[in-house]
Amino acid sequence: MGTPGICGNEVSMKRKQAEGLSRREAIIDSLSLPKDILLGALRVTLTGSQEAWVENYKGILEYTECQILLQGKNCQVCFEGQRLSIEYYTNEDMKISGCIRCVRYQ
Amino acid sequence: MLGILQFLKGYVRMKIWGVSPERFLNLCSNKNILLWDICKEGEAYTMCISLSAFRQLRPIARKTGVRVVVLQRYGLPFLLPGLLKRKIFIVGLFLCVAFWIVSYRFVWDISLEGNYQITQEVFADFLASQQIRVGMLKTELDIGALEKEIRRAFPEITWTSARLSGTRLEISVKENDAPIVIPEEVYEGGRDLVSEYSGVITSMIVRSGVPVVKIGDMVEEGTLLVEGRVPIYNEDATVREYKYITADADITVEHSISYQDTLPATYIRKTYTGRRSSRPFLRLGSREVKLPMERPYLVYDTVVQGHTPMVLEKLSIPVSWGQYVYREYMNVEHEYTLKQAETLLVEKEMQFLATLEEKGVHIIEKDVKIEESSTCWTMEGWILVDQLTGRLVPTGMESGADQAPADSGGNVSVDGVE
Repeated sequence: MGTPGICGNEVSMKRKQAEGLSRREAIIDSLSLPKDILLGALRVTLTGSQEAWVENYKGILEYTECQILLQGKNCQVCFEGQRLSIEYYTNEDMKISGCIRCVRYQ
Repeated sequence: MLGILQFLKGYVRMKIWGVSPERFLNLCSNKNILLWDICKEGEAYTMCISLSAFRQLRPIARKTGVRVVVLQRYGLPFLLPGLLKRKIFIVGLFLCVAFWIVSYRFVWDISLEGNYQITQEVFADFLASQQIRVGMLKTELDIGALEKEIRRAFPEITWTSARLSGTRLEISVKENDAPIVIPEEVYEGGRDLVSEYSGVITSMIVRSGVPVVKIGDMVEEGTLLVEGRVPIYNEDATVREYKYITADADITVEHSISYQDTLPATYIRKTYTGRRSSRPFLRLGSREVKLPMERPYLVYDTVVQGHTPMVLEKLSIPVSWGQYVYREYMNVEHEYTLKQAETLLVEKEMQFLATLEEKGVHIIEKDVKIEESSTCWTMEGWILVDQLTGRLVPTGMESGADQAPADSGGNVSVDGVE
């Protein structure tokens, strides 16, 4: 009875690879594991348009009053708005406050 | 809490600018240096950093080509050197701390709650007799013994709790609020029920005794309603003996009550002139210090505005201050208008009727009028009511053997007769 299940998983993984996901991402996706830990994906938590918590970033690339550009492992994320400030900044996480208009991935 | 820790450890607000400030921020985070309140101001950035972390910044600033300037210093490490130079201040601070520590060992306030029958003064006397007073050492206080003594000294207190909250002794008591049971007087002979009012009987429920009246009878005050002497008959219908019991019945009588109430034609009203003066005072325990002052006005009233300091909600000290405010007024005589007099008299009448209804009196009809005389307003009339009646009086003892049964109500111990 186990063979059809394995076959089914392999079929599903192949379909995901065909969708453009890497083999590692496909396995993590199949096992429903947290991607932010295993893949180091950026984790952004927004509270309304005033506050944002960011984890798993590499560093700040650019910081102005209107734009904060952060480097993640695989991508960059850009917070656009007005009167943007960083309430705290550590190696683990940071909190952005101000009037956030747009969060853009590059 | 975080703010307190930051204050204790000390932190600075700094300004950075130069070649690569973003890289400066990233290097700081890589070295586990916490930065907070980061803002962009023109070409520069301002941020807060702890004092210990600030000392590690030199290599980072050199590597990133950033210049660092301290804008403001915060926290205890920056305050202490300045404070240590002020010797009197330091001595004062130590004395203050010592004062609070010593003060905390005493009872500075006693509060009592839950008392209704026992007045504060009576309780204060009791506490004084137990050597419990404001200013005593906490170690001298035996709370368990105090609670026991309160229950012993005041039998009406059913529950008591004493506890020390800071420097305050809080005593809570619960008095016995169950209705007071008056022990029934025991009569050797029986007791009759007689009418308290003159009127017409409208209902009767006799529980024990021999009824001598019936519904619809006209009775006068003092008329015998239910007899407490119950005859016991022989087989030949002659009275063998009398049994003396206490008569018990609910008998209502319809009668009228005359009502009269008066209101003086004039009344005195305080009219404040607007002139007022104040006199500050300082109270230390039971002693009060006031500024000397002569009698401010001929006629005045006094308002006391006091303040008691409560430090940290728990540490109350027997010091209070405030002021006596003297407000001058004149006694001005006013006359009641018809409407005012009507309102007041009707209000008093309503209170009277409400009192009657509370006593279980049923009001059937009323007729009252308001009349004006030169000196007063008078409200008079009558109120027709239906009211329970019956007053117990001792039964006259008789040797009742061999008597014929009475005509009216020859029943023995009638139950529920209406």
